[in-house]
Amino acid sequence: MKTKLLTILGMGIIALTSCTKYPPSSGRVTQDLVVYTQYDVTINFSDYKTFSMPNTVVYINGKDTSTLNNANSTVLLNRIAADMKTRGFEQIANTAKPDLGVNVTAIKTTTTTVYSPGWYYGYPGYYPWGYPSYGYPYYPTYVTSYSAGSVIIDLVDLKTVVNNTVMVRWNAFIRGLMTNLHTQADITNSVDQAFTQTPALKTTP
Amino acid sequence: MKKIFLLLMIFGLMHRLVQSQDKPASMGFIPSSYYTFSWNTTFTMGDFNKWVGNASPAGFDLGGRYFIKGGLVAGFNMSWQRVSQIYTNETYSLPATGQAITATNYRFTWMVPFQAVIAYHLMPDKMVSPYIGLGIGGDYMEHHLLVEEYDIYKTRWDFSLTPEIGALIKLGYYSQWGALVAFNYKWTTNQIDLYKDKSSKNLQMLNLKVGITYIIR
Repeated sequence: MKTKLLTILGMGIIALTSCTKYPPSSGRVTQDLVVYTQYDVTINFSDYKTFSMPNTVVYINGKDTSTLNNANSTVLLNRIAADMKTRGFEQIANTAKPDLGVNVTAIKTTTTTVYSPGWYYGYPGYYPWGYPSYGYPYYPTYVTSYSAGSVIIDLVDLKTVVNNTVMVRWNAFIRGLMTNLHTQADITNSVDQAFTQTPALKTTP
Repeated sequence: MKKIFLLLMIFGLMHRLVQSQDKPASMGFIPSSYYTFSWNTTFTMGDFNKWVGNASPAGFDLGGRYFIKGGLVAGFNMSWQRVSQIYTNETYSLPATGQAITATNYRFTWMVPFQAVIAYHLMPDKMVSPYIGLGIGGDYMEHHLLVEEYDIYKTRWDFSLTPEIGALIKLGYYSQWGALVAFNYKWTTNQIDLYKDKSSKNLQMLNLKVGITYIIR
């Protein structure tokens, strides 16, 4: 009888261990898309009407930077521009003094465990707007570990330049987006999600 | 696997139940006390079900009950339970700081209930002794929202009430071992307010307990 009871007890313990578990981090960082956004709550985006953006994605590979120009980067840039226009912003040339500048960065191989604000700004060639430094009016908190293919979108305030510093008013971090694991539909959906979860990011034309 | 295990348990108990009905009713004894160890499956209800919708077999329960007079017993229950569920593409927002994150969310609550119990056994001397009871006590609960590497959680104590029906089933007329099957509804003052736009109050759940008992004459 005791043997039977112990068997029942053992089966119960097996059942206990079969409950839902969070997938391990190693699997999540390559498969799960994470869309993180933050904006400056002290400003009103209605004060901004126009934006400009480069036609390439800054590409960080270790200590080197280059530009990314392929079908996926085109989809990425087009979707960001489309979402900005949907929110009421007008796209104009960089030379026409836009109110906002959009920087798009993709990370190739870096695995960073702790995000340090502006860590990637020290790389050469990362100042498309001609200002030597960037600043955040808030402390940007990114997902604390990420791997290849993560995308960072910064919306830079070109109207307000203080001490040669332009401020980032909105930023989005999409983990793992530009890996080969995700489709172009994932790219558009993730960019859309970044805008969707920031309802304040809109203006009237 | 779980379903097969549950079916085997139910079949075994039913078999015993049928066997017991063939014997004279006068056989048996009224225990002085009994101790239980149960496997506890939790079914969340109401607002709690919106937090975690899955039924959870992750739980166990320890109890002791002492016969006071006739079929009236008093005792205690201590448990450990955990409910959890993964939700994909959930957005967690902090409007005050302008932050939002959309990711796979893992929600779980684990709890340590402890209750004083009073119950009445309808046929305390029979092999199958059904009872009705009420547990009064509290819980320690931890509610966790894991958004990737972020673990957002709150701990709460509460007051709880648990009406219960069940049966103590002796595994032999003079055996000190038995089985316990019980079903209870639990109401607590506990709450979950990790999301700004959806909070869960007065957490409620149903519990199915299947276990073993050690009976003292």
